[in-house]
Amino acid sequence: MIEKTVRIVNRAGLHVRPASTIVKTAGKYDADFYISHEGYRINGKSIVGVMTLIAPQGAELLLEFSGKDEEIMCREITSLIEGGFGEL
Amino acid sequence: MMLNKPYIDVGFFYNGIKDRFKVNLLSNENGFERRITDQNLHRPGLALAGFVDLFSYSRVQIIGNTEMRYLSKLTNEDRLIALERLFRFPIPCIILTDNNKPLPEMLEFAEKNNVSIFGSTLGTTKLMYFLTDFLDDQFAPSISQHGSFVDVYGVGILFIGDSGIGKSEVALDLVERGHRLVADDMVILTKKGEGILMGTGTQLARHIMEIRGLGFVNVEKMFGIRAIRFQKRLEVIVQLKQLGRGDEDDITRTGLENSLISLLDVELPLVKLPIIPGKNITVISEVIALNYLLKHYGYDPSVDMQERLRIALEKKMRPGRGTDYFEHDFE
Repeated sequence: MIEKTVRIVNRAGLHVRPASTIVKTAGKYDADFYISHEGYRINGKSIVGVMTLIAPQGAELLLEFSGKDEEIMCREITSLIEGGFGEL
Repeated sequence: MMLNKPYIDVGFFYNGIKDRFKVNLLSNENGFERRITDQNLHRPGLALAGFVDLFSYSRVQIIGNTEMRYLSKLTNEDRLIALERLFRFPIPCIILTDNNKPLPEMLEFAEKNNVSIFGSTLGTTKLMYFLTDFLDDQFAPSISQHGSFVDVYGVGILFIGDSGIGKSEVALDLVERGHRLVADDMVILTKKGEGILMGTGTQLARHIMEIRGLGFVNVEKMFGIRAIRFQKRLEVIVQLKQLGRGDEDDITRTGLENSLISLLDVELPLVKLPIIPGKNITVISEVIALNYLLKHYGYDPSVDMQERLRIALEKKMRPGRGTDYFEHDFE
């Protein structure tokens, strides 16, 4: 299992489009993926779950990946979030 | 595959309109094999009067009170010249409106040139309105599309997808749940006006479907009249597809991306539905129909959800429980 802490950098925060990008990207991999924020831990492959986090700019998220393709999955998801979902 | 009719013959035309628009045959059937190649109608007033430049002779010729009054005012000699001029062109047929009776000379020319004359009790404007709609429909662009077409809660849903993926089975399941089959396998789609596609089956296969492993099933005989309908406007296309690796990007998760498909230049919403074990496509189809109705009446759940999240982010709300306090309600 890999754990990784990332920060939301884009101004609008984790709104619908970024949430759907995360979920779609996660769906390409087999590994389990969880996101924790403000004491909530949700399945990163669920769109409603990711939206429920209401993560604004500056929010810190803890990502957990576990499965055989966890490393590459962690790299892609991390770069998505840290890259501001292309909204920077 | 386009199925446009290049022409209809006068006999077919007459059969289609005689009962609907109170049209009857005033001459004989000699002209029934003539072809109508134009969906428009024409009033040959100017041609009768002598001006034949740009005369639209290939159209159905409508003679109303004005033309009849004009002919009756001519001398016998001029009337023959006027009619001879009209019949010199290969006109498909003539319809007299408003209960006008053909002049004896007209019948002679019609007989000699093998042109049929019809009459209607309807007035010119009304008859022309009806005939235009009939001819528009006959000459409307059509295509045949492979798929199953079902009326689900009044919404016309066409299921498309590869052979053997289960389109007919979904249709059968929907019929079993009280919805109505329009056509299976071969669906003929016809463009009506701008932006409307009407779908129906073929004459031969009407409400017969093939279920793999069983053979033919007659849905009307088996489930009764409530299980079928002859025609329906097409409103949503559902594409059933086996989900492969890398297809994830193609499947919407929020419903915000409006996927459209263009058929005969009509844009229709396209729903791509991955087939996954344990997934009930029939129930999802009912939900697609109901969601379409909600959107049609102005409510879009995707937009609603997007708005909720936007407000929550704006107000810096924190993730939280749906009910703040259960307040001794343990039921």
